[in-house]
Amino acid sequence: MIGEILWATSGDEAPLWLLAAGPAGAVATYWSLYRYYRNTDKSHAYERDTLISAQPVQGHREKVRHISRTRDSDIDGDNSSNHRERVQRLE
Amino acid sequence: MTQDATPPGEARAPRESPFDGPPLSLEEELAAARADPEPGPDIDTVNESLADGLNRCPKCGSTDVRLRGSTEMLVCLFCRHQWQEARVEEEFGLGVGIDDLEGTVVAGGAEEISGDDDVITMTCGGCGADVVVDTAHAMNARCHWCRHTLNVNQRTPNGAVPDAVLPFRLTRDEAVEKIRAFASKRRLFAHPRFKKEFVPENVLGVYLPYLVIDARAEAAYVGQGEVQTRRWTEKQGDNTVTYYAADVYRVDRSVAFTVDDLTVEGAADRADFGAGTTNNIVNTILPFDTKNAVKWNSSYLVGFTSEKRDLDVADLQPVLEDQLLSIGRSQVHDTLAEFDRGVRWEAEKVDVRGSRWVSMYLPVWLYSYYQENTRMLHYIAVNARTGETMGSVPVSQPRLIAAALTVGTVLEGIAGWILVATA
Repeated sequence: MIGEILWATSGDEAPLWLLAAGPAGAVATYWSLYRYYRNTDKSHAYERDTLISAQPVQGHREKVRHISRTRDSDIDGDNSSNHRERVQRLE
Repeated sequence: MTQDATPPGEARAPRESPFDGPPLSLEEELAAARADPEPGPDIDTVNESLADGLNRCPKCGSTDVRLRGSTEMLVCLFCRHQWQEARVEEEFGLGVGIDDLEGTVVAGGAEEISGDDDVITMTCGGCGADVVVDTAHAMNARCHWCRHTLNVNQRTPNGAVPDAVLPFRLTRDEAVEKIRAFASKRRLFAHPRFKKEFVPENVLGVYLPYLVIDARAEAAYVGQGEVQTRRWTEKQGDNTVTYYAADVYRVDRSVAFTVDDLTVEGAADRADFGAGTTNNIVNTILPFDTKNAVKWNSSYLVGFTSEKRDLDVADLQPVLEDQLLSIGRSQVHDTLAEFDRGVRWEAEKVDVRGSRWVSMYLPVWLYSYYQENTRMLHYIAVNARTGETMGSVPVSQPRLIAAALTVGTVLEGIAGWILVATA
């Protein structure tokens, strides 16, 4: 954490980052302790803890466009790891 | 082995209303006589070896029978003979044929609940007295006249009798220790009243109703994925800014799979995972070793409470589809490594080709604490087969906020010191 703060001082925004460290640390402490006691985020990991036998995955990709210049380091709305986030259902 | 005793008396089915409507006309009577018989369940799991009412020890005939947790067998308290029911996995072929499942196959104990009367009256086979059993909370009762133990073994229309039961393995003392250990790790910021009133010896052994599902499904997903083609930095004043170029792809994936013994809550109260409950705690102690579930015999429930199933297969179809979609997503996840900027799924579908539903009672040691100021019921639950423990401990908000402010103040002090030092 302190290492990150020191690293953040290399740019113009360093003071802002540093001043946010206090509130951010307080919020993180509150939520980590709260979750440790209340375990509100826990549930049965049925995707992993069920006996599943799957056929080989089928699929393909098709290039639709090219982004030539963006400051975003990743795709917007990446939900590939959030298996329980439901999207539009096709019939 | 199963017991083969025949009780001396016949038990009475749940009492019917003395008035069941006006008499049928001749045409209706004839139509009813010609009608096909009611179709039975897809899998008949009724334990034929047990007549409703008295579960006798096969050796001495006593009805003082209960589960012995250390051996997971039924023990006769009179002659100490031990025996157990057959595993449903082999008895009803529940471990095979998942690849060939077609349609919705429902075992007898998971059939649609048609009655809502929890209280049934049975006639004691020992002395003939009428004994009332409240099936919402218990499946056994002692005859108050002759002390025989009466058991609900007959299929009841109110969802109280499941297809199978998984006996308790963890003893009460082991559960108490696990609950105590769980809470003792969470003392510092616990609510003072909880600490004062915490009595783990109040733990209760309860059989909770679940539906255990085998399913065959195909899932398909459509979305967009991005692959980074270039990365470079540009100077903007004193700063350097990183830019990216990427190819955008339309991605689709499909996978066919089977799941064996997916377990979902069979009681609406337990299936509600809203913010006002701590039901997620009980959900977290899944999975159970459901392969070891045995044929229904209410003697396994002697000394424990039970909760009645009130959700039907139709109610739980959306839950099954939701879980199958999540499982499919987890299966295709490993094929997305080429999209190093990530994938955004936009549409999905699941086609459930076949499913098999079996209702089971699963054993849980449950400690509950009602927090009055928030009106929240906190659970600490122990899986009575695996020992997995999870809980919700009420927190002291002032202490939690004080700790957070202390950490925040220290961090802010360090940040201020760095800013001053580098100014």
